Amino acid sequence: MAESAKDKVKYKILKALDVSGFTAFDPVIRLIFGEEPQKQLQAIVKYLVIPFFFVLACLWIWTWMGPRHKTKSGEVPTPDIVWESAVINDTIADREEIKEQDFLLEGVEREAALAEVTKEYAVLSEEVKRLKELVATAEAEKAELEAKAIGPIQEKHDALKAEYKLAEKERDEGIAAISEEVAAGKADTASLIAAIRDDGVATDAERAELSALKSQIDEIRSQKYKPLEEARKSYDKVADAQFFMKTRLEFLDKRNLTVKLDEAQSKLDGYMTDLASAGSAKDALKIAKRAVKAEESVDRLEGQEYASAVTIYHQTKRSIFTVFVGFFMAAFVAIPVGIMCGLNKIFMACLTPIISVFKPVSPVVWLLIFQIVVGAFFPDPENHALLNFLNELPLISSLEINPALIFSACTVAMCAVWPALVNTALGVSSIDQDHINVARVLRLGFWNRLFKIVIPSALPLVFAGLRISLGVGWMVLIAAEALSSSDGLGKFVWDEYQNGSSLTFANIIMVCFVVGIIGFLLDRMMIVLQRFVSFDGGGTSV
Amino acid sequence: MAYLEMDNVSIGFGPPSNRTEVLTDVNLSVEENEFVAVIGFSGSGKSTLMSLLAGLQRPDKGEVRLHGSVIEEPGPRLGIMFQNYSLLPWLSVFGNIELAVKQVFPKFTASELKKHVEHYVEMVSLTPALEKKPHELSGGMRQRVSLARTLAMKPEVLLLDEPLSALDALTRAVLQDEIIRIWEEDKRTVVMITNDVDEATLMADRIVPLTIGPSATLAQEFPVTMERPRDRANLNKNPEFMKLKNSVTRFMVGMNKESKELRVDNTIQMPDIKPYDFMPPTRTSVVVK
Repeated sequence: MAESAKDKVKYKILKALDVSGFTAFDPVIRLIFGEEPQKQLQAIVKYLVIPFFFVLACLWIWTWMGPRHKTKSGEVPTPDIVWESAVINDTIADREEIKEQDFLLEGVEREAALAEVTKEYAVLSEEVKRLKELVATAEAEKAELEAKAIGPIQEKHDALKAEYKLAEKERDEGIAAISEEVAAGKADTASLIAAIRDDGVATDAERAELSALKSQIDEIRSQKYKPLEEARKSYDKVADAQFFMKTRLEFLDKRNLTVKLDEAQSKLDGYMTDLASAGSAKDALKIAKRAVKAEESVDRLEGQEYASAVTIYHQTKRSIFTVFVGFFMAAFVAIPVGIMCGLNKIFMACLTPIISVFKPVSPVVWLLIFQIVVGAFFPDPENHALLNFLNELPLISSLEINPALIFSACTVAMCAVWPALVNTALGVSSIDQDHINVARVLRLGFWNRLFKIVIPSALPLVFAGLRISLGVGWMVLIAAEALSSSDGLGKFVWDEYQNGSSLTFANIIMVCFVVGIIGFLLDRMMIVLQRFVSFDGGGTSV
Repeated sequence: MAYLEMDNVSIGFGPPSNRTEVLTDVNLSVEENEFVAVIGFSGSGKSTLMSLLAGLQRPDKGEVRLHGSVIEEPGPRLGIMFQNYSLLPWLSVFGNIELAVKQVFPKFTASELKKHVEHYVEMVSLTPALEKKPHELSGGMRQRVSLARTLAMKPEVLLLDEPLSALDALTRAVLQDEIIRIWEEDKRTVVMITNDVDEATLMADRIVPLTIGPSATLAQEFPVTMERPRDRANLNKNPEFMKLKNSVTRFMVGMNKESKELRVDNTIQMPDIKPYDFMPPTRTSVVVK
């Protein structure tokens, strides 16, 4: 029976799912192609719908528990707040891009943009004014409501306070009287002690009562008034947009590159004309000096780039770049050394103590060691030939490679080298005796034996090791970046933790997901590679 | 002087304190272009014998000689076909054979190489599977690839180590015919190891039984004088075949019995004692009148 074109497409998709490890979506594809719908639907319910509801349940538990746990940084953010923070980070990145465009715009385009932004700014300003009023009214409403609720309690509180003040005064007088009697020898000392003690107890009780009322008032004050919250939220949003428009105006006008250049140029031209008509030698010298300075500033402006704020996308890109630098360093060392270990028992015996001792060392320790040891190669990072060369390269120049990145990459390499090394050694040493016999019968030379028999046979295990290495490297990297302040996701969370804005907690949780998803994708990538080099067509664990 | 000979060969494994002698004083001489079948029970050291012939192992005592010179190391002159195929799983059928041919005939041009490989693939009728990987092939096909690889090296001696033992009966018959056809087309010396009397009788010029290990050695040989080509279909009606098969089988089974009898019986007969039963006898039947 000839396979139809449709079947061919189907099997291609299924194969792709199999290789990439997404076999759970297998029944969906089969269902789309109309294969045994009953069976596929069952499989979809079992392996997709139920897990989906499980994840939903987890999200629900998170949403429910989050606000009930009060921390120093506020409530635990719920999923929607985390999502909001992701959207905000995205907006920040978008705005940076727009600002950069504005900075570089020239001529007619600049003027058109300037006119449009001015108009928008005016509209937004009106809106801000309106919303500000709304907020004010809502605040007034809230204050009124509060006053109504708090009034009686406050009255009660004040009355009690006055009463207790009197009572305390009375008690103090009583104690004074007793102490005088004691001094005169008329009364017992014990009665004085008892009176003082009673006074203490009574004061504490009064204080407790008052503070209970006070906390009642505070409770009412801290209650959220929904209209006010909403008004504030919409106000913040518009005010934020208005502020952005204001910055855009600046970048289109005063801080625009061409505007600044024109200004500097006209200044220079002015000096030049002045210089031509200078009256005295002293004046000429003064003007010429100014002209030279103006010239320098024109030169400087010409090479100027937009100083973009660090966005989450930039941090993510830099993290991925760093992990791959570290990973390739690790692979570059681990594979040859692993092959040598697998081939030669003496070599293996020599390396075993080193592997055993250094494998469990924490990445933090490695980072510190690298900062000192590798740091010695970068005494003057600004003028380092290698760093300058790397930062001139077309694709990676925007990542701004600095020593901190290199330390992080070295730490990643140091921690990622072990799994790859051990697995390569294992793969090489556990080569099938039959294959060795084939090599012996064919009388293959050392290099032929290595490249035709040993390496191909060890390749699946080598890639299994590399997969573990990349996973370890990615985990280590975040910690290394946080500690070495190398721009990246690690530094992003660390900065968030240190800065403490209202979005701190949500941002940290967002990074948790970003790191997780990227780690997952990296792992999948390695699985696919591993599947391509494994010759037995066997599956790999997820 | 024989073409390939084993002269008082002994080999054993393990440290001196716990040594197992596998083969003791094995003598075998194979003439040029002769087809010899070595037959024996599993575990009797057949594969070790083959490793010695191929030079993959050196004997502890005695010598293995080809053309009168001692075999020191394995090489393509002694083409061994392994029991478990030993194909390289990351190479295609073509790649597996090509690797061997390239090594043995380094002076081949690319087109000569291709022609040579394809010739041998065709010989084992696997041309359609030329670009397949071993794991995509059936056991019989893999075995044929292994055979093609060994033949493509043009070895002086073909050593077949239970080449067909892992196959089902039908595939086995096909491959037996194929091996015989190839051998007849392209005469050379063959030593085949097998545990199947029918197979040995059908294919070989001479059957040499291996006694039961440890310390196995070769027993009295049985020459097969049947005319070639031997017709598989009528074999069971051939009196000579039946007679030979029976005598080999009887010898092998007898050897097995003998070895069982030789084994020292370490079991101690215990007296048959039963504990005294204090329970009242249970009623087993009720007679109803």
